[in-house]
Amino acid sequence: MSSESFSPGFSRIVKPDATLEKISGGHIFTEGPVWNNKENFLVWTDIIDNKIWKWIPGQGTGIIMHPSGKADGMCYDHDGRLLVAGWSSRTVWRWEHDGSTTVLASHVDGKKLNTPNDIIMKSDGIVYFTDPSNGIRNVGMESEDVQKYVDYEAVYRLDLSDGSLTLLADDYINCNGLCFSPDESLLYINDTARRDIRVYDVLDDGTIGNGRLFAELFHDDHGAPDGMKVDVEGNVYCTGPGGVWVTDPQGNHLGRLLVPEDCANFGFGDPDYRTIYFTARSSIYRIRVEIPGLPTYPIPGISD
Amino acid sequence: MTWEFELVAGPDGNRADGPAWDGEALLFTTVSVPSNTIHNKILRYDPGTGEVSDYRRWTNRVVGLTFAADGTLYGCQSGARRILRYNGDGSASVMAYKVDGKYHNQPKDLAIDSKGRIWFADPVWGPPVVGGLRDYELAPYSIDYRAVLRIESPNRDAPLTRMTFDTTTPLDVALSREEDVLYVAESSEEPEGRRELRAYPINADGSLGDYKVLHSFGADYRGIHRGISGMCLDTEGNIIACAGWAQSGPGSMIYVFSPAGQVLETHPVPAEPTNCAFGGPGLSDLYVTSSEGHLYRVGNTGRQGWMLYPKAA
Repeated sequence: MSSESFSPGFSRIVKPDATLEKISGGHIFTEGPVWNNKENFLVWTDIIDNKIWKWIPGQGTGIIMHPSGKADGMCYDHDGRLLVAGWSSRTVWRWEHDGSTTVLASHVDGKKLNTPNDIIMKSDGIVYFTDPSNGIRNVGMESEDVQKYVDYEAVYRLDLSDGSLTLLADDYINCNGLCFSPDESLLYINDTARRDIRVYDVLDDGTIGNGRLFAELFHDDHGAPDGMKVDVEGNVYCTGPGGVWVTDPQGNHLGRLLVPEDCANFGFGDPDYRTIYFTARSSIYRIRVEIPGLPTYPIPGISD
Repeated sequence: MTWEFELVAGPDGNRADGPAWDGEALLFTTVSVPSNTIHNKILRYDPGTGEVSDYRRWTNRVVGLTFAADGTLYGCQSGARRILRYNGDGSASVMAYKVDGKYHNQPKDLAIDSKGRIWFADPVWGPPVVGGLRDYELAPYSIDYRAVLRIESPNRDAPLTRMTFDTTTPLDVALSREEDVLYVAESSEEPEGRRELRAYPINADGSLGDYKVLHSFGADYRGIHRGISGMCLDTEGNIIACAGWAQSGPGSMIYVFSPAGQVLETHPVPAEPTNCAFGGPGLSDLYVTSSEGHLYRVGNTGRQGWMLYPKAA
């Protein structure tokens, strides 16, 4: 069984007989899966193994960056370049088409960032990322400098036109995954330590307000909120105990997709965005679902 | 002579440990109990002003501290299972943390020799690491023994060597002045375990010979007697050691052992002592940390501390 239903509505998300398929193994701590919808391949990071991987359906896997600065979450920008929450590099960076990398953010108020964990881009090109400090203290994920300088675990808005950082929220124990609702009127942010998801209204100036509790993910199984995405109908998918939990926009848990290893993140992929790729420690799994995910390209196909 | 324990800082309820004299003030660590938060610090007690200030924040359960001969501070970050070097610019660098490709455990205390080699006690100590791979996931990537280890030079790519093959709970190490003996506190809290002060001869090739037990801690109807959690040396080569607790045995105590293991002195401590280090202008004040966060100073030990850094004024 690859899924567990909490509500009749879950059958619209995944067929009961849908099964998980493993497409890659032998990794250590996989993260940051993102589908390239221009050339149809999947990329992901292995934080501890210090690599970025690429998987082309029908062809196989290959390492495309090593060392990677123990990179973590990723997304694509309008031009099909990877934006990377650099985690142990303590930066947010962009992988240019010529293979070089550009640091987009490294300090806030003159202090080195913690360890940027996950990253998304809004359709207007503004970047949002989380900056918890786990990367400083996790075994095997260390950076060159493991001193923490910033007093909080924060969520930032990064304007690439001038490089300015705006602090959006600093009252997290361990902020982690984040995603917009399909119309970008809402921003969801989860907290691994609190095991909850908060939701904010996205304001006209790109900041956020009216934060409130959206859902809690408590269960005896291993796993906690980490990676988080939405589908085109606004259902929120979030890693949690046992796999990935699906919650409707009203905050009702519909069910969960069960993953055999601790799942840190996942991403929608395939040309129809109806396959979910899970990064679960040593392995990459996938499962077919019924409702397409929201592409991580801010505007699908703009680079075509 | 009865030692006078003067309370100079604390207690704040958190465990204090890692006392190290920096030449002007006393550094020590604070580790919150029982939380595994990273909100821990290195504090600095300035005897000139009596003030305690933050020296480093967010230390993530750094326990033992010591200075290398060149005055660089190193610490045992039990919360992330590594030895750190504290750099002058405020950053912190990770030292080698893998033995034969596997992560070591949770370093508790360390000693650095004149060659710059870092000897450290590496028990499983305190709560597990938070976040990332969980302990059970880390196990296949981790060593399956608890030993004294040695980083051969102070950097991340240096070889890391297993030094002891007969320890289960090493909590502290100290090097004799001639660097020909390694003192090890083997301090199991298991009833069947050993609680011993051991002297390992250091061979010419840097390896360790067979140890001698200088002292063995016992047990009584109330339970085992707590072994040594921290120690330092005086200029005569004696070992000043923190051991014991209120719940059994002779109580919370500082022992002064001769290099042969004779108990020269015992001094009851007003709290459970975790560690001790000499400091003050003449390196003749003994600073003692406690499990509840006390920092005591004993000004009348009649002894002078031995350490590579700093030298007595």
